Amino acid sequence: MRRGRATPSPRRPGGRAASRRAPRGTLGGGRAGAMLTSRTFLKRTRAGAVVKVVREHYLRDDIPCGADACPLCPVRPGQPLGLEARPSGAASSLCPGPHYLLPDTNLLLHQIDILEDPVIKNVIVLQTVLQEVRSRSAPVYKRIRDVIGNPEKHFYSFTNEHHRETYIQQEQGESSNDRNDRAIRVAVKWYSEHLKKIQNEENEDIQVIFLTNDRNNKEKALEEGITAYTCEEYIKSLIDNPDLVDRLACVSDEGKEIESGKIIFPEHIPLSKLQQGIKSGIYLQGTYRASRENYLEATVWVHGDAEENKEIIIQGLKHLNRAVHEDIVAVELLAKDEWVAPSSVVLQDDGQNEDDIEMEEEKENILKASVNKNMLRPTGKVVGIIKRNWRPFCGMLSKSQIKEARRHLFIPADRSIPRIRIETRQADKLEGQRIIVAIDGWPRNSRYPNGHFVKNLGSAGDKETETEVLLLEHDVPHQPFSQNVLSFLPKMPWSITEKDMKYREDLRHLYVCSVDPPGCTDIDDALHCREIENGNLEVGVHIADVSHFIRPGNALDEESARRGTTVYLCEKRIDMVPELLSSNLCSLRSNVDRLAFSCIWEMNQKAEILKTRFTKSIINSKASLTYAEAQMRIDSAAMNDDITVSLRGLNKLAKILKKKRIDNGALTLSSPEVRFHMDSETHDPIDLQTKELRETNSMVEEFMLLANVSVAQKIYDEFPEFALLRKHPAPPPSNYDILVKAAKSKNLEIKTDSAKALAESLDKAESPDFPYLNTLLRILTTRCMMQAVYFCSGMDSDFHHYGLASPIYTHFTSPIRRYADIIVHRLLAVAIGADSTYPELTDKHKLADLCKNLNYRHKMAQYAQRASVAFHTQLFFKTKGVVNEDAYILFVRRNAVVVLIPKYGLEGTVFFEEKDKPTPKLDYNSEVPSLTVEDTTLCVFDKVTVSVTLDASNIQHQKIRMELVEPKILASGVPAHLSTETSSNNEPEKKKKKLQQ
Amino acid sequence: MASVVLSDAEKLYIIHGVQEDLRVDGRGCEDYRCAEVETDVVSNTSGSARVKLGHTDILVGVKAEMGTPKLEKPDEGYLEFFVDCSANATPEFEGRGGEELGTEIASTLYRIFSSEGSVDLKSLCINPGEHCWVLYVDVLLLECGGNLFDAISITVKAALFNTRIPKVRVLEDEEGSKEIELSDDPYDCIRLNVEDVPCIVTLNKIGYRHVVDATLQEEACSLASLLIAITSKGALTCMKKIGKGSLDPESIFEMMETGKKVGKSLHASLQKVLDEEESLGTTRQKVGFLG
Repeated sequence: MRRGRATPSPRRPGGRAASRRAPRGTLGGGRAGAMLTSRTFLKRTRAGAVVKVVREHYLRDDIPCGADACPLCPVRPGQPLGLEARPSGAASSLCPGPHYLLPDTNLLLHQIDILEDPVIKNVIVLQTVLQEVRSRSAPVYKRIRDVIGNPEKHFYSFTNEHHRETYIQQEQGESSNDRNDRAIRVAVKWYSEHLKKIQNEENEDIQVIFLTNDRNNKEKALEEGITAYTCEEYIKSLIDNPDLVDRLACVSDEGKEIESGKIIFPEHIPLSKLQQGIKSGIYLQGTYRASRENYLEATVWVHGDAEENKEIIIQGLKHLNRAVHEDIVAVELLAKDEWVAPSSVVLQDDGQNEDDIEMEEEKENILKASVNKNMLRPTGKVVGIIKRNWRPFCGMLSKSQIKEARRHLFIPADRSIPRIRIETRQADKLEGQRIIVAIDGWPRNSRYPNGHFVKNLGSAGDKETETEVLLLEHDVPHQPFSQNVLSFLPKMPWSITEKDMKYREDLRHLYVCSVDPPGCTDIDDALHCREIENGNLEVGVHIADVSHFIRPGNALDEESARRGTTVYLCEKRIDMVPELLSSNLCSLRSNVDRLAFSCIWEMNQKAEILKTRFTKSIINSKASLTYAEAQMRIDSAAMNDDITVSLRGLNKLAKILKKKRIDNGALTLSSPEVRFHMDSETHDPIDLQTKELRETNSMVEEFMLLANVSVAQKIYDEFPEFALLRKHPAPPPSNYDILVKAAKSKNLEIKTDSAKALAESLDKAESPDFPYLNTLLRILTTRCMMQAVYFCSGMDSDFHHYGLASPIYTHFTSPIRRYADIIVHRLLAVAIGADSTYPELTDKHKLADLCKNLNYRHKMAQYAQRASVAFHTQLFFKTKGVVNEDAYILFVRRNAVVVLIPKYGLEGTVFFEEKDKPTPKLDYNSEVPSLTVEDTTLCVFDKVTVSVTLDASNIQHQKIRMELVEPKILASGVPAHLSTETSSNNEPEKKKKKLQQ
Repeated sequence: MASVVLSDAEKLYIIHGVQEDLRVDGRGCEDYRCAEVETDVVSNTSGSARVKLGHTDILVGVKAEMGTPKLEKPDEGYLEFFVDCSANATPEFEGRGGEELGTEIASTLYRIFSSEGSVDLKSLCINPGEHCWVLYVDVLLLECGGNLFDAISITVKAALFNTRIPKVRVLEDEEGSKEIELSDDPYDCIRLNVEDVPCIVTLNKIGYRHVVDATLQEEACSLASLLIAITSKGALTCMKKIGKGSLDPESIFEMMETGKKVGKSLHASLQKVLDEEESLGTTRQKVGFLG
């Protein structure tokens, strides 16, 4: 406390003397142990103003050190402390005694893979470190939070910034980084002194080891008497776990770049300069997309709305300048005379060592040769990286030819990712295994980026391993649900309570039943239909009330929102919500009481809706039927029980509804769907067949569509700004070109000016001698369509659903497997007053972000599903050997044809061009379109016979290979099934017939 | 302005006392009351000070914000004054009651700071013609116990002394587009030189004599007073007569002389206290408003 006196003449004593009172600390705050200080910092706002921000900051002296059974620290009831009293980490030769580890920020950022290893236990994570990690890398932050949350790992996060003895203020001339480093050292010191006090009582010697890779920091720590090691020193000292060394990230100290070997790449321009350059337009910012076929070529998609130079080609190693697929980069355009055309050459990187730079140059020259003048495109070079988008990559090890070598190249499964050099001592063990590798950095003098081994997934070709790979490669979150998430599940045994009955209608007396595919455990919809007094029909769609169990904002909700959708693979389901909900509490199984959200219509016999109402309800399903069972009940005249009558009513209405919808212009599309018959023991596919469609499938579908449309209308009326809807944009007319041309070649006309015209002309497109033609046309039409997407009604003006010919649409009927439906449920619940709202629900920007994630997850889930089908198809054909099958040509390409085998719903490409073989004479006619190979002309929809084999020559990329058997093409004369690649040969047979057409 | 109503007898008592160089609270005519000064009391300002002079209680906060220089002075920053009369001080200030007084004080402050050299305005310029620092000086009257102007000027000076303006650098690239960069060291800041910032000394004419630092009662006895702004070197930069009475030239000169003398020692002791407080650095325990 300090008060000044300012009295000009001290001749006489002034009126009152300043009274001293107690300092403020004890007055403020409710706790005796808390002391107030404030943190002040300056920041620049986006508008350019400089503001001074002051935050209150309380210091306390009751923060426990985290060591279990520490007698000095106050015990917090109900909170398990992290660190073990007798640390049982891995034995280290550097530090034989029991010890805790305390890493600094950079170490945590770079070596998180090591810290996640079960061997590493008893780690103190300082708040300072956590905060820095959080601001620098969100993924690492999430990972470390998960590790801290795992009681097995004994990680403890110490709130050093709020501890009275470990809080420090930034000093004059000290940068905030230096301050944080000092704060970490102060905390280490505090720990070692604190632990000494415990030792006295227990006669045990627990040390705190400070881990840092920063040399200055380590020196300072040693000066201050702290035990400090670099991560490498410590990990290498672990006696029982030499394999951990492989997982060390090799980060070289910036600045100490002692150049070995010559510099290959130009330097990256620092970020601040890049930003200035982008502002002034010298550089362009964009997303880097490496070419899959050609490792020396990439394109950069420039951000922003500029019309020209949207897509920039980058060619040559030096110009690519260490950018990796998906990075955000800055590009400088080259002068016009240096522009190149996208090359059509396929180049695979197969160099093993660094010395072949000259060879690279040769290859680059190959690219430049044979360039057509008018094909030139804007070309540029990468000058700097704005944001790296590195993730862990799946792939396989390519063992170095040198014996006993420790540096090996890693070949990622994704061809757009460069090879990565890793250091490992277990190359023999890892050979032939699918492994995960993370990139650490890419020095200027290295041909390949440096990385480290993260995880071994298992041997390649193995079913579990491959499933894991495809989940990882499609970014499908598939880890088991964390404890935190599971803690929000209802406690078992669960039953409906009085409280749940509030706002709910009891519909248990209704004859509700569900119809699903066989083996379905997540039943999210059930139906009923009954006649009411006035002769009209009451139809109800009952959807599982998932939003009753998943409350907004909790960990369960966040995790479901992140997953976005359940992913169905051939033999596995990756749930969006934990199994207790998906297969039990939310699943509308028969003969149990379940909570539902019901949409009930009153319809007349012509299926016109007279009344619609929505209510939360309780139902008791009377039967869980499969499509086949339901169909059987409807068809067999002998059955006349309530459920069957209800089903017949539904079926009748559904037919009318479907007709109305089709008259409105809804499209009936077709895409071949396959089902595998699995061996019950080995889970290997033993047979493949396309899915069969029954009347009951379309019956359920019809009512789901109707419910979705009704709900969409209701939530949009209630929340014009925040309704989550689904739209399907009309495709641009040019998309249909291929369809129109293909139909024309069969003398059919397809009108594409409106959905209705399209639907009608598709219906008419029949050919008596070619019954499968209509299905083929519908498959082609599907390929012309745009992707349907979720969106927030306040952010868009076009709501139309093209495929369903509905002005408005949403997803309401599958909340167990789609997160969008949960949001729609919440909106609807608020609209009918059955539930309360929350701020995020009425924030259109948050909703738009959510939609973005959902659309991404849905797309990835689809890709993962396709990949899974492809993998199982491969397994299937592996056992079959060579199979000859009938197929139809779907597309004709410049050097290949795409064929469809209806029997398996399998699509494949037959190539006529390949390396090391003479290319047959190809003549492509883009008008028809047709391809003439030697003397055989192949047109769209031609029926051919292909042989199907599995090509396992590249273990990482096994694929189905198809070769043309019929019509035979006369060329080299190699028997079809013996050729390892896809070229086809021999005699034209049907050719003449085709030429006549 | 806040005022008290005195009976004739009370007034006579005060006037007679002054005549004898003995004031009601025991002071002589040229004595100031005991003042309490504390700086850095409002943490989210760039500089702040609180002064208690007898019952008069003033809080001043200075906020530095980036603005554009005035057209006629492209290479200078500027100061803006705003005076808020809290209704805590006197019920008369309630609603818009204090507005008139506030405007009067603010215009007086503009006047005394308008003289060249009171503050080095050039040092507030960041980038001529484009960016400069604008210092918003906000005065809050917490309590009125007489001699408002003096107390306010002392507080403003103390607050300006305490002001720390973050250092910014102007980066210019080849195209000439300018970017302002903020230094990330919070200790890296500009301090103002307040040596030439004047203080106001108000001299109240009571009977035949004049007093400095009048209390409310004394102000009620005074018909005319002279307000002069004095720098620490004793230079008189501004003068203003307040009140309805008149002053004869001779007593004006007399009052100016007294003002200069008192003003100089006022500056000296204020500077001493500020330096003392500064030397304590961050170890100083703040008193703030609960002390």
